[in-house]
Amino acid sequence: MQFRTRAAIGCLLPALALGVTACGGSDNKSSTSGGGGSSSASGSVDVYSSLPLQGASKDQTGAMVQGIKLAVDQAGGKAGNVTVKYIPLDDSTAQAGNWDPQQTAANARKVAQDKKAVAYLGEFNSGASAISIPILNQVGIAQISPANTYVGLTTNEPGSEKGEPQKYQPSGKKTYTRIVPRDTIQAQALITQTKTDGCTKVAIANDKETYGAGLGRLLEIKAKALGQTITSDTGIQKDAPNFRAYASKIKGEGADCFIFAGVTANGAVQIFKDVSAAIPSAKLYGPDGVCESGFTNPKKKGIPASIGAKFKCTVATLDLNSYPGGKKFIADFKAKYGNPHPDPYAIYGYEAMKLTLDTIKAAGSAGATRDGFLAQLFKTKDRHSVLGTYSIDANGDTTLTDYGLYKVGPDGDPTYESTIKASGS
Amino acid sequence: MAARAASFRRGFAFNPSPAVSRALALALAAFAIVYPLLLDPISGLLDDSVVALAYVIMGLGLNVVVGFAGLLDLGYVAFFAIGAFSVGWFMSTFYADANIHVLVSSNVHNLPGIHLNFLLVIVIAAVLCALAGMLIGLPTLRLRGDYIAIVTLAFGEIIRVFAVNGDSVHVFGNGYPLTNGRQGITPVDQLDLPFVKPFTQLDLRPWYWLVLTLVFIVLFVVIRLRDSRLGRAWVAVREDEVAAASMGVPLVKTKLLAYTVGGAIGGVAGAFLAAYLNTVNADQFAFSFSIFVLAMIILGGLGSIWGVVLGAIVLSFINNRLIPDVLNSVPGKLGLDFNLSDLGFGIFGFLLVIVMVLRPEGLLPERRRKLELTEGVGTDDALYEVRA
Amino acid sequence: MREFISKYGLIAVLLALPVFYGVKDLVDDGNLAHLGQNLFQGLSNGSIWALIAVGYTLVYGIIELINFAHGDVFMIGSFVAAGLFGTVGLGLATGVGGLVPGLLLVLVICMATCGALNVMIERVAYRPLRSAPKLAPLITAVGFSFILQNVGLLWVGGSPASVPDLIHAQQDVFTFLGITVQRADLLAIFVTIPLVVAATLFISRSRLGKAMRATAQDPDAARLMGISVDTTISLTFLLGGMLAGAAGLIYALYQTTVWYFQGFQAGLIAFTAAVMGGIGNLRGAVLGGLIIGCIQFISDDRIGPQWTPAIVFAYLVLIMVFRPQGLIGEETREAG
Repeated sequence: MQFRTRAAIGCLLPALALGVTACGGSDNKSSTSGGGGSSSASGSVDVYSSLPLQGASKDQTGAMVQGIKLAVDQAGGKAGNVTVKYIPLDDSTAQAGNWDPQQTAANARKVAQDKKAVAYLGEFNSGASAISIPILNQVGIAQISPANTYVGLTTNEPGSEKGEPQKYQPSGKKTYTRIVPRDTIQAQALITQTKTDGCTKVAIANDKETYGAGLGRLLEIKAKALGQTITSDTGIQKDAPNFRAYASKIKGEGADCFIFAGVTANGAVQIFKDVSAAIPSAKLYGPDGVCESGFTNPKKKGIPASIGAKFKCTVATLDLNSYPGGKKFIADFKAKYGNPHPDPYAIYGYEAMKLTLDTIKAAGSAGATRDGFLAQLFKTKDRHSVLGTYSIDANGDTTLTDYGLYKVGPDGDPTYESTIKASGS
Repeated sequence: MAARAASFRRGFAFNPSPAVSRALALALAAFAIVYPLLLDPISGLLDDSVVALAYVIMGLGLNVVVGFAGLLDLGYVAFFAIGAFSVGWFMSTFYADANIHVLVSSNVHNLPGIHLNFLLVIVIAAVLCALAGMLIGLPTLRLRGDYIAIVTLAFGEIIRVFAVNGDSVHVFGNGYPLTNGRQGITPVDQLDLPFVKPFTQLDLRPWYWLVLTLVFIVLFVVIRLRDSRLGRAWVAVREDEVAAASMGVPLVKTKLLAYTVGGAIGGVAGAFLAAYLNTVNADQFAFSFSIFVLAMIILGGLGSIWGVVLGAIVLSFINNRLIPDVLNSVPGKLGLDFNLSDLGFGIFGFLLVIVMVLRPEGLLPERRRKLELTEGVGTDDALYEVRA
Repeated sequence: MREFISKYGLIAVLLALPVFYGVKDLVDDGNLAHLGQNLFQGLSNGSIWALIAVGYTLVYGIIELINFAHGDVFMIGSFVAAGLFGTVGLGLATGVGGLVPGLLLVLVICMATCGALNVMIERVAYRPLRSAPKLAPLITAVGFSFILQNVGLLWVGGSPASVPDLIHAQQDVFTFLGITVQRADLLAIFVTIPLVVAATLFISRSRLGKAMRATAQDPDAARLMGISVDTTISLTFLLGGMLAGAAGLIYALYQTTVWYFQGFQAGLIAFTAAVMGGIGNLRGAVLGGLIIGCIQFISDDRIGPQWTPAIVFAYLVLIMVFRPQGLIGEETREAG
């Protein structure tokens, strides 16, 4: 049923599809195509996403699904001659209001069962990916995470645990990739920026989630390497009513800059308000977890403009206008959702699906098979995308190292400011 | 009101002779055993069934504390946590500095960490949870009614906080943190039991039969306990503590045994769930889990073993199947671009309210105890007879 | 002997944290300003918990139900408040002259909405279950808690939402003995005190209040005396809901952030406060709320915010061990 709807959309939007095909072609000019490259392949494949659609992170995952759907619609539901059916799955349950291990494993199994499945976009939470990766790995389905930044999922760099990442790869092959740089890079970018801005003492608060706590740890490591003073790295209780005691504590430590390592849903608005009230002169920083309009825009119930003026954040997206397809992406996003400022999560979701579609196309006749798709995915090289130009390395990581620095623009949405070079992780 | 409730019950009344009911039970058991053969080995339905059966064990354990002994426990998640951590500690590469292998097969023999056989771990989980149950029970001995509820709730929350922050607690020495916080301990060892092939995540039938075996064992234990001297002591304490004490029921021992047995059963279910879900993650141990299990046993019929079994299966399927899989596909089928998962919470809550209002005694109330239950767990019984 | 332990053990437990850090402050800074600041902020924050706890304790006192939906009614209260600020024309630039009548209007609407909501919940979810097993309404309460959370989720989304800081909450008003008093603190204290006093007077003096107490003590006898038990119970829910609505408004102004999940946490804390004080007892609930507020602030500042819930609940367990009937618990029926 759903399949037919998609096909119908594909027929209804031929103009759009054509436009994107041209655009997609330029994307893949430099990618090596090992799968024969003939575009005579046809058939249909299923692409799944698994994200927590209920509870506190539903705003972010909703944006991600918007981005994914836009990529599918732009392509008219086709990659080359292959019809692509997109099926969103939910890895959360009503009772937990959060991602749920059983639901995550169930999603992975469901996809493993589907003979036509080639790609799995997910998960949102690194802890959830740790569950779905081994299951999908055993059946050789490629996984592309649009959000995980935990170091240990792909490498054994500092911040990971013993046995990682091999313990997620029971088949011995690598099947997991991600399009967002791991925490190491972002930590480097944030600390570099605090040095540029002349911070002398930086206080860090993390939200105790995998993402936030991991980023906090890496911020400390990078600060030591770059000679920045960290006064404290505190794990906060995400549902605490306020953080006034914490704010007066870091005031006592003499902090002049503050970094929140976490996501909007975990008390971000409140902690920035309280810190800003306690230390009015403090410079405020955040990672991509808070670099979204829901946090920065007062009209969308984000922080007030007075605090926004002191706030900077980093996203793996550079100036979209400098990228050939970027303008078109913004225009299409605005046409479909009425919003000219896609949030990072929408961009990440969009790129995850775009990469999937381009990989199917580039693999040619093999693109509709699990093995062919997987092989092609790991061959991604110098891809020009909304996130900048990147390759997928042997670990499955993106080679992106540049972060965009964003400020709160006059309309309240995050606005591109400059590029931070965070190479040399 | 009472009359309406009575007519409800009469409508459902079914009093088979012992022979018939035994035959019925056997048929059900036989069906439960062959059921996975009717399904694909990795089908979602089988997956939900495995989890539902694990919840049945949880419910049976909590039913001992709340249903039999009348001690309202709002912190049952503590046992899920401790049972699960037994698996995390003793069946994974979490403590990679240690190198202990006991009765495990060759595929985990080369991995660092502590690796014990699952059968050992399940015993450890039961023992740890029995001890924890006793510890949680001690401060509540002098308390009654809902004061017990809040103290158990407090213990549950304290354990959750430790699960979340345990990554910075090194009680066993450096390199041996208590937990792995929200990152979770993933993956844990694949089960490898004697005489059967190693379990995998891609064939759920062995998992199903394992949990079914556990359900049968726990059912046997619980039924025997209910009909034993201890079971009658529990009911006596539930009905009237003072009277029970004056008839020679040792209050301290009786109450502590309820916590111990309930805890041990919860630990078994926790250990199984951790192994099955392949993770021990602090986010799983929220207060809402305690409420979820409590809802199962109240919905099924407090104190009634078969009611608890039914309640656990029904709620677990509503949460894991009906809302995410069945209802979610409805708008798509109707051609609407509407995401029903936005309403997941509300639907779950609405179903709880509706079922409870329609069947206040639970789905399968225990006939023998219906009257006693109506009069409440506490000392005061007048309240709910206001309109009688 | 047991009485002695119960009394002094309790005091020792309650004073352990403040005395320890008081001595530490004296050694480190030579004065108690730091601890004083913690305690003062704790009191102002705790007064919000106190308002919610009163609603809990009222309902518990009369039908012995742990009303899990109460925290979510409070959450709806702050959403209503946050939504109304713009509607009645209150903004950051509004002066005191416009702010006071505007906020009073919002207060009235919040209280009315939450009161009505609470009465409706009782009518739909608890009244049909009055002759049911005692724990059945607990489940419908949980059910309504889920429903209200879903309403909140659809209303403002999954992330905490910022509310305009109408009263400039964190602006200092004056400093006394090294303790800085902010506007939010004054608001919380000066709205809570009259509301709690009014509620106490209503229950102890008015005819309806007497009916409530009579029903709480013995519903059958109350009915024989010509008291309409249904109306009285509805009234109790109305009163509890109104206080939760007021707490919702204060919370929105004080924290300047609202979240669909805030009610769960607040409900847990308020329930703890009610039990700590001696459930069914109004003054106990207020006392419990204030104590928890202080523990939270001391712990947030000195021990680390991630451990705060564990500290609060450890306190609760200790209080239960020393004094099972709660701090002021002699008036309740459950006490043993």
